[in-house]
Formats: sequence, C-alpha cells, structure tokens
Amino acid sequence: MKFLVNPSKFNKFADNVFLPVLILSIILFSIGLIFSFYLSPDDYQQGSTVRIMYVHVPSAWLALLTYAIMTVYSIVGLAFRIPFGFIINTAVAPIGAVFTLICIVSGSLWGKPMWGTWWVWDARLTSVAILFIIYLVIIFMNLSFENRIVREKVVAIFVLVGSINLPIVKFSVDWWNTLHQPATISKLSKPSIDPSMMIPLIVMTFAFIMVGLAIAILRIKSEIISRKSNLN
Amino acid sequence: MIILNKIISFYYREYKLNLSGFQDILTNIIFFFVSIFIFIFSIGPDKETISSIGIGIVWTLLLLSSTLSLRKFYQDDFENGNLLIMHLNGLSFGFIAILKTFSHFIFVQIPFLLSIPIACILLNIANDKLIYLFSSFVIGSFILSCLGSISSSMNLMNQRNFLLGSVIVMIFSVPIIIFSVGVVNLEENFNSLISILFGILLIVFAINPWASGLCLKLALENN
Repeated sequence: MKFLVNPSKFNKFADNVFLPVLILSIILFSIGLIFSFYLSPDDYQQGSTVRIMYVHVPSAWLALLTYAIMTVYSIVGLAFRIPFGFIINTAVAPIGAVFTLICIVSGSLWGKPMWGTWWVWDARLTSVAILFIIYLVIIFMNLSFENRIVREKVVAIFVLVGSINLPIVKFSVDWWNTLHQPATISKLSKPSIDPSMMIPLIVMTFAFIMVGLAIAILRIKSEIISRKSNLN
Repeated sequence: MIILNKIISFYYREYKLNLSGFQDILTNIIFFFVSIFIFIFSIGPDKETISSIGIGIVWTLLLLSSTLSLRKFYQDDFENGNLLIMHLNGLSFGFIAILKTFSHFIFVQIPFLLSIPIACILLNIANDKLIYLFSSFVIGSFILSCLGSISSSMNLMNQRNFLLGSVIVMIFSVPIIIFSVGVVNLEENFNSLISILFGILLIVFAINPWASGLCLKLALENN
C-alpha cells in the first residue's frame, strides 16, 4: 500500500492501472446510461424525471468523498510531514468542485418540475453551495500564493478547518426539516429503494468513481512532474 | 509574573497603536452607517419593511465592516518585524494569536457595539429587541474576531489576492449569521439559540490558536 504515500511508487502503480480504469469507466458508463435511460422504470409520481437521480446522487457522493480524501491527506501531510498529501490536495480539488457543480445543476434541473423552483434556501442545498465555494477558495488559494511551502501547508490547514462542513452536509436532512428528502440508500437499515432503480444507481456510482479516478491519476502525475522540475 | 508583565505591555502597545490610528476605526464605523443609508435608499423609506428586515441588515453590515479591517490584523506587525520580536520574547505563536484576537475584539468590535443603538434608531428596530441584539453581538463578534485571526494569518504570504481572506471569513460566518439573527427574531427560543452560538464560539476559540499559530510560524519561517 506504499503507493498511497510515495510519489514514485504511485507513478508505477498509476502506469499499470490507468488503462484498465479508463476502459472500465467507458464500459460502466455505457452500461449505466443504457440502464438508467431505457431499462429502469418510470417513477409512479415523478415520471421520467427520476432518471436525473442517476447523475445527481453519484456526483453528490463523490463530491463528499473527494473532500473526505482531501481531509485525510491534509492530516497525513501536516502530521507525518509527507508531501504526497499536499500533492493530492492540489490535484484533486478541481475534480471535487466539478462534481459539486454537477450535483447542484442536476438537482436544480430536477427541482424545477418537481418542487416548482430552481432553488430553495434549505439546509442541504445551502450547505452543498458552501461546499462548492470552499472548493473554489481552495483552487484560488492554490493559484495565488507564490511560495510553494507556505501555500501547500496553508491550503491543508484551510481544508481541515473547512471539513466542519462535511458532517453538516451529511446530517442536514436529519437535523432540520428540509425539503430535500432524507437518505434512502446509505442509512443503516434496509435501503428503501426498489432493486430495479438500485442497480443502475450503483452502476452509475462505480462509473463516476472510475472517471474521477482516471482524471485524478492524470492530474496527480502532472503535479508530481511539475514539482520535480520546480515549475512552481 | 513575567508573563503578566508581557501581556500588560502587549496591550499597552496595542492601545497606543490604536489610539494613534483612531481614524481607521472611525472609517470602519462610517462605512457601517453609510451602507445603512444606502440600504434604506435602495429599499425605500417604508417603515414596516425596514423594521422587518432591519436585524438582518444590521448583522450583514457588521460582518462586512469587520472584515474590512482584516488586513491590519497581523500584516503591519509582520512587515515591521514586531511579530518576530514578540516571539523572541517568549510568547508562543498560539498565545500571540489569542492576545491579538482579544485586542481585535476590544479595539475594533467594541466601537461597533457602541454604535448599534444609533443603527437601531435609524432602522426602526423596537427597543425591547436591543438587549437580544447586544447579547448576540457580543458572542458573534468574538467569533468573527477568531475567524478573522485565522484567515488573516493564512493570507500573510498572499501578496496577490487579499480579498480571499474576507471570503474565508464570510464562508464560515454563515451559521453565526443564521443563529444570531434567530436569537433576535425568535425570542421564545432565546436560551437554546444562544447556547448554540456559545458552542460555536468555544469550537472556534479552540481552533484559533492552533491554526493561526501554525500559519504565523509558516509565514515567519519562509519570509
């Protein structure tokens, strides 16, 4: 498991893994899209708009997962003085921002026919919007510091302070009365979703994970190269 | 006893500095009042509307005008080397952050506390709400001072884009705004909301010396 903290080991691992991940993501995406567009049934209330869920839910999960990974790697980088943590922080932040943006846009596209409005000031929506702004601030911080050593540590501290927002996003539907529905799949008891909708959702989740992983591998490799040649 | 002497001389120095630069704090307060005027001009002078959204306006403008003075939080001491001298005299970076936070609270936020009653008269807010506004502002402004300490120490080495510091404070002040406006508007829930606000204060006060001290140390090491 040394490839998780060591840049040269990671490079070797990434060379082996990149092509299979790319092929797997293409296959999973085509299967998942076929499933979610043609083979899954319409909802009895929502009709065909339920299919937006197959993009909305995986991107929301991945937005949270990306931030959680960044938090763990900030702790690793600051506490154990392993610079690979800062490399991950720099490389992964735009991916999380894009996933959050996909989540917000697809959610509001779903909200217009279902709730009758693009946007409500409800706890879940607001906290996800703040998550998006936190991602943007991380990206801007990465661009605006000149000294690299200061930049990466300051960004890691900011990621740690901003991770207060993660449990708020996760539990906002339980703590407050929100218009957004509470968790149906990731709760501890039996999931309250039908298997015919569960299967495309899971396939799409894995497809999103694979796409995110492929882009992350490319970005981390380029970040390692730019550090080796002292570009910034 | 030596540490007490150091603290007293620290605050004496802060007092001298703020007294000589008193026009900066006054400018902040003038900004606060001018923005209230602009708000009223843009909404219209209808008394009902103004008094229903007055609390929100007061809190928003307090937040905006206290982020204006963030640049002076550590930057001056950092550039003329006083931060290094304080550290060489035996104050740790975290302790400097705590002292600076209290100094910001006393010399920047307390003048706002004194100007709140005048703002309440201008915005037609009922007198019995004033005590709730005061109590929420005493707690909320201290949270804002802690957040300001964190964000301005993060941006010490950031020469290009200092507005980022204000954005960081505003992101983390969202729950403070929610709960402190709630304290004033929902008087029957006063105890529970003020407890939540106080809990946020304790969390931020615990994070503040750790995060700001680390950032100060980084900035001084790599300057």
